Amino acid sequence: MAQASTKIRNFSIIAHIDHGKSTLADRLIEYTGTLSSRELKEQVLDSMDLERERGITIKLQAVRIRYQAKDGETYELNLIDTPGHVDFSYEVSRSLAACEGALLVVDAAQGIEAQTLANIYLALENDLEIIPVINKIDLPSADPERIKQEIEEVIGLDASDAILVSAKMGLGIEDILEAIVTRIPPPQGDDEKPLKSLIFDSKFDPYRGAIPYIRVFDGKVSKGTTIKMMSSGKAFEITEVGVFTPVMNIVEELRAGQVGYIAGSIKNVGDTRVGDTITDADCPVAEALPGYRKAVSMVFCGLYPVETSDYDKLRDALEKLQLNDASLMYENETSAALGFGFRCGFLGLLHMEIVQERLEREFGLGIITTAPSVVYKVNTVNNEQVYVDNPALLPEEGKIVSIEEPMVKATILVPSEFVGAIMELNQEKRGVFLTMDYITSSRVSLTYELPLSEIVYDYFDQLKSRTKGYASLDYELIGYKEANLVKLDILINGEIVDALSFIVHKEKAYVRGRRLVEKLRSLIPRQMFEVPIQAVIGSRVIARESIRALRKDVLAKCYGGDISRKRKLLEKQKEGKKRMKQVGSVEIPQEAFMAVLKMDD
Amino acid sequence: MPSLYVHVPFCQKKCNYCAFFSIPYDGSKTLSYLQGIEREAHMRLGEVSEKIASLFLGGGTPTVLSAEELEGLLNSLELFAFSPQAEKTVEANPGTLELNKLKILSGYGINRISLGAQSFNDLLLNRIGRIHSAQDIARSVKLIRQAGFTNLNLDLMFGLPGQSLSDWQETLQKAVDLEPQHLSLYALTIEPGTPLACLVDEQSYRLGTRVIPDDDIQADMYELAAGYLRTQGYWHYEISNFARPGFECRHNLSYWRGEDYLGLGPGAVSCLNGIRYRNVEDIYKYSRLIQQGLKPVEDSETEILTQKELISEYIMLGFRTAEGIDSELFAGKFGKQIQDIYGEILTHYINKGIIRSEKGRIKLNPAYYFVANSVIKDFFL
Repeated sequence: MAQASTKIRNFSIIAHIDHGKSTLADRLIEYTGTLSSRELKEQVLDSMDLERERGITIKLQAVRIRYQAKDGETYELNLIDTPGHVDFSYEVSRSLAACEGALLVVDAAQGIEAQTLANIYLALENDLEIIPVINKIDLPSADPERIKQEIEEVIGLDASDAILVSAKMGLGIEDILEAIVTRIPPPQGDDEKPLKSLIFDSKFDPYRGAIPYIRVFDGKVSKGTTIKMMSSGKAFEITEVGVFTPVMNIVEELRAGQVGYIAGSIKNVGDTRVGDTITDADCPVAEALPGYRKAVSMVFCGLYPVETSDYDKLRDALEKLQLNDASLMYENETSAALGFGFRCGFLGLLHMEIVQERLEREFGLGIITTAPSVVYKVNTVNNEQVYVDNPALLPEEGKIVSIEEPMVKATILVPSEFVGAIMELNQEKRGVFLTMDYITSSRVSLTYELPLSEIVYDYFDQLKSRTKGYASLDYELIGYKEANLVKLDILINGEIVDALSFIVHKEKAYVRGRRLVEKLRSLIPRQMFEVPIQAVIGSRVIARESIRALRKDVLAKCYGGDISRKRKLLEKQKEGKKRMKQVGSVEIPQEAFMAVLKMDD
Repeated sequence: MPSLYVHVPFCQKKCNYCAFFSIPYDGSKTLSYLQGIEREAHMRLGEVSEKIASLFLGGGTPTVLSAEELEGLLNSLELFAFSPQAEKTVEANPGTLELNKLKILSGYGINRISLGAQSFNDLLLNRIGRIHSAQDIARSVKLIRQAGFTNLNLDLMFGLPGQSLSDWQETLQKAVDLEPQHLSLYALTIEPGTPLACLVDEQSYRLGTRVIPDDDIQADMYELAAGYLRTQGYWHYEISNFARPGFECRHNLSYWRGEDYLGLGPGAVSCLNGIRYRNVEDIYKYSRLIQQGLKPVEDSETEILTQKELISEYIMLGFRTAEGIDSELFAGKFGKQIQDIYGEILTHYINKGIIRSEKGRIKLNPAYYFVANSVIKDFFL
């Protein structure tokens, strides 16, 4: 029997955005000399610009740190980073499953925030040893005693030996490293057993193909090993094994308890699904690790280039994004209003926004997004069941017997004073109350059955604003349920703009239609003729507005000294017009298409 | 034929909406300015080979200069060869006109006066920082006639803070009562950086408690004026300009026809052979450069216009006028038929009745003058 090394510690950091996770990770890396501060390009773990800006981790990263502890021994610490949003809670749960412990980082002034809680519960579910760390103790408003009390009350965790640090000033870093060594248990496992390892992330490398990031539980993997993906049965020969320091560094092998990456001409990230178990094809384990789930697109929308000629660029960009993001789905779609584009599927709204932003930022594309939709199940008069993720493709009214919508079970954790606000919100969102439990005297867990489509529309924003940001949400799909749903179309100047159609509960259709036409009226600039805007269900108009004809767009004077300036002014305005979509004879700005997304403003 | 513009950058007091280059009148500054003009005239004489078709003295306020100074200025310009029928205009402010100045102007061959009346409502005049009253306008017009001028323009403004449609109608009537040969009507434009722009509350679009008429009311004011002036025998020959037949401003028409112009004085713009440049907007710098024998040009602003820009400008200006764009002239100037460049969009607008094609001329339907930019933008290359 060769037990996994007792000199390994696998951990992650759980923190709310702004509570200093990245800075702390940098300090740990710097303190142990893994990288010099010059090499630390600011915060090494959040490598995408977008992540740094939003302060959230989207793609996971992992890094191996060597640390010589006070007991004289050198330890191998593997820090596995986690994304911080409910859209990615499955990914979080998988990376926590790869660890034995976690640092819970809490801001010494702000205390525990909603976002942290869901991840803490995930960590507790995975039996992780949790080390409370109170950061930013250098702040004048820091109150570590209050924070300790809060940790004990809210999470029920003993915080008497919480570590006080200031990642910014570099205080308490050694205490953390010591606590990781002494308090987090070493990994269990046996390197003589058949290979059993967990994929907690993957990325695509143009030279090495899809690279799974793995945690080995039993056995070992080295160059030449033929591995098997347990979900698909596909086998690959390993050509490279390595670890992150944080740059990729080739090693001989990865043994039980270790964390690293493997490469072996795996062409598709779709073959390296997070949560899957990798085993040795020649002597496979009988049973996979628990908890594997295939990524399911929850939200769909159409993505169209603003400039029709950018279609190919958009396709290339999506292809590139998908290389690194197996959960992004897309297929061709055509809209009468917007031309050629793509129907895309996402894990959730944030995922959708991130993809959109990356397309605009990294690929310089102007994108129009249609209203997000869920997948409806339509029962037709021919006794068929059709799945519809695009309102434009909903069968005509006469052919529909009933429409079913996806339902979720939502769990909301919230300070007790906001229970009323949560109940109110869920009522508005067609929620059905299931349970309410007091976790502590001041914190409540509520569960509701909700239509997924209601979560897609503005639920997070409302949840946040109505609870001052203290509520956290998690949800899981529980099936389909019949509902009184209708398709709402928007006509601009008498023509249906398919990109603005959406499926909505009949009782809400009037209000939504009314709001949308009002919003469109304010967003679409006046044209040279009057433009009617109508919201219709079938052939029935439920709301109507009109944009009056433009009456003034003129240069009062244009003489010798004015000509250049005026020409440039009009050139600039013409550039602005290019950002508009011509639908029939009406010019519609990009924001108008976004109006459907944010209607409850 | 080229035209000549001379900028006189002095005012008794700058109006709060004005974005033109002007500084307070000060007798100690005028001498170097006048010397500058004289030298610049010599320096630039060679840039125009043909006879000059028109002269425009603008500002600022040319008539803020003293009688002697005006004489000196006009004397310097004698250097240029004008065609015998040349139109020669001087801009004037009703607060600065005296008979002796007018007589001097007339003596130097000035044959057109453009008077900045703006409004016949004293409250409104005061609100936009004008130095004169409605009565001053009437008195000035009398003096102008007395001095023998038979070609008079009145500038009027609409869309002023607190101005109503009936205020505007009254101003139009009083202006017509003075029987000018020409009227220019300008919608108030709030130019960034002007005192007015700072004073106007952007949210409520007010100046103090006075609401600035919105686009719809301004459009109503424009319609009101165009209809009224037509009945009074004025021809609407350009977006903002009306004239008795034969009294169209030839100087301004030459801009709209894309002809060359030479500009003298600080801040003046010239455009010759497709190159446009602006003189420095600083009278000291202007004088210094001239004294050093250098062109007083703001080099960073010099533009060599591309064919595309020239065509865009030609369209932008041509669509302002009732005569529109002459297809033959266009083809001669740019070596391409206008239809070949704009086939589809041109047909689209002609079919909609927004643009008219008549006797080889392409023009904007006057009903769309007040939304001209929307059309012009589509013709930008």
